[in-house]
Amino acid sequence: MRIIVILGRVLDPSGIVVKGSAGRIFVNREEYLIQPADACALEAALRIKDGMAAEVVALPRSPLPDDDILRQAIARGADRAIYLTGPALKAADEAAMTGVLTAAIERLGGADLVLIGSTTLDTGQGQLGLRLAEALGGAQITGAWQVSSADGQVQAVLQRNGRYVAVEADPPVVVTLLPGALKLRYPDGVRLINVYRGVGEVGDALEAWDAADLVDEAALTPLVESRGKEFAPERERGVRASGTPAEMAQAAADALRQRMRR
Amino acid sequence: MDFTFSPEHIALRRMIREFAENEVAPIAAEIDRDHQVPMETMRKLGQVGLLGVCFPQEYGGMGAGEMGYCILMEEINRVCTSTGTNVGAHIGIGAMAIYLDGNDEQKRRYLIPLARGEQFAAFGLTESGAGSDAAAIRTRAVREGDSWILDGGKVFITNGGYADVVTVMAVTDPALGARGGITAFIVETDWEGFKVAREEDKMGIRGTSTAELVFEELRVPHENVLGKVGEGFVTFMKSLDMGRLTLGAACIGGAEMALESAVRWAKTRRQFGAELASKQAIQWKIADIATELEALRSLVYRVAWLVDTGQPFGQLAAMCKLYGSEVASRAIDIALQIHGGLGFSRDFPLERGFRDARIGEIYEGTSEVQRIVIASNIFREHGVRIRP
Repeated sequence: MRIIVILGRVLDPSGIVVKGSAGRIFVNREEYLIQPADACALEAALRIKDGMAAEVVALPRSPLPDDDILRQAIARGADRAIYLTGPALKAADEAAMTGVLTAAIERLGGADLVLIGSTTLDTGQGQLGLRLAEALGGAQITGAWQVSSADGQVQAVLQRNGRYVAVEADPPVVVTLLPGALKLRYPDGVRLINVYRGVGEVGDALEAWDAADLVDEAALTPLVESRGKEFAPERERGVRASGTPAEMAQAAADALRQRMRR
Repeated sequence: MDFTFSPEHIALRRMIREFAENEVAPIAAEIDRDHQVPMETMRKLGQVGLLGVCFPQEYGGMGAGEMGYCILMEEINRVCTSTGTNVGAHIGIGAMAIYLDGNDEQKRRYLIPLARGEQFAAFGLTESGAGSDAAAIRTRAVREGDSWILDGGKVFITNGGYADVVTVMAVTDPALGARGGITAFIVETDWEGFKVAREEDKMGIRGTSTAELVFEELRVPHENVLGKVGEGFVTFMKSLDMGRLTLGAACIGGAEMALESAVRWAKTRRQFGAELASKQAIQWKIADIATELEALRSLVYRVAWLVDTGQPFGQLAAMCKLYGSEVASRAIDIALQIHGGLGFSRDFPLERGFRDARIGEIYEGTSEVQRIVIASNIFREHGVRIRP
């Protein structure tokens, strides 16, 4: 069984301080993590591999400036990771990435199961899984808590209307995992050191593929073109009230009255 | 000069921090309160490879060198000094003695399970009459055929209550003393004649085992002599050099915890209509901790680099331990002062940190002994021999 895991990265929120009074975001430590929902997808893949013969291959969900999260995936147990590179990939949006990933999966010999996070922490985008299912011509299961495989089928547990529902589908299947569904295992120490040193068995597990070799340039043209940035006007700062609850309520009412008069 | 960490060491730090925050920090207060060694956590550390962080991969280790080991000690001690002490006694001195002077067979037999956390190690040096004066030990080992018979005992042995393997220093020729008359042995704790006599009830690092060990006609096979007969004192001193460096790294973690707590509290606590952070008295205290912490970090990681590149480091390791333990104590003292009454409360981790930090100036060579080591090295270079 070949399991493809799609991984993205996000700035570690614990390294960021949002200072409302200064109107600024301070980045104290610029460190990137695997997107939390994608981390659940990786753990789901590794758990399936723990119980049956399977190959887990990690691919990036968007253009990455470096291959760090792919090395992290190998350290945690992925068999292979493909770092997609090339200047043409820089502006790729979800539509373009769908094309590149579909071609990469094809080059790998296809996939029985594609696992990806249902959403991303920074942009909240959740389209890639759905697009991939469409492009690969397989079934899709969205928002799973658990994924398993038995008898040549893929099983998943979802939560619908406050109840857990078990579903299954024939491969190829794309399953999106909810953030927090599973706790990602720790890296194995030896794999971690070797994958960063590029030595031993895992030293060859990371490959770099040029996107231009996978799809033609037209397929990499983003659907959406950015023509600049515009922000909403800055909001007026609120009023800080202190004192007894009655005094604070009075201050809030006075502030509202003044604002309405304006 | 390049002061950057390699990508593998950055990744290793991230892994250890993740482990420490998830597995060690949540139980730190509990193991202190209940005086319990966190055995499950220790086993998990072994399962992910961290208990063999500095040993070669052929002996079950990770192969991350002394730099990797210092990162481990810093990150674990940042959240729990007890767990850091258990790890340090296991890797830094217990298993380290086997790694430094064990033969290939001994390393395969003992180091591999120790690196995987399947077994745990302790370092048997201190005796009731031999603390700072390590050469004054009285535990005797007498050759009898293919074995040695050990009689005597050790005190204040970290990990002593649960270790599977203890490296023990014993007198094999009283006439020669430390200069050829002391031998190191690898002792398995389930052998007849080995007994854990008592556990110490300590002021700090209460999530550790500090035990008194008794050897009564303990038969040790000759193949378990560590290094050469008569050269055990050198083996143990080499192990202590390594341990002193990593205790310095442990102190970075303790001081970091203090600084982070102090800054966090100074930002939130308001007195006289403003945050504590706006008061110069507080700012200067925090500046002092941060400056000493950075100086310590530079010293420790430079010495780790010396070890990994095969250069002499003994005197500098003593400086790491001396300066590190005193910086950590000062940092926690200052952080506690900034917290005021809450710092004194058991509801806050600084009270535990304050009790835990004190041992840093005592174990594995007191601050006074470190000063002797440093001064002896300096004067030796000038042709003067100092006797303690």
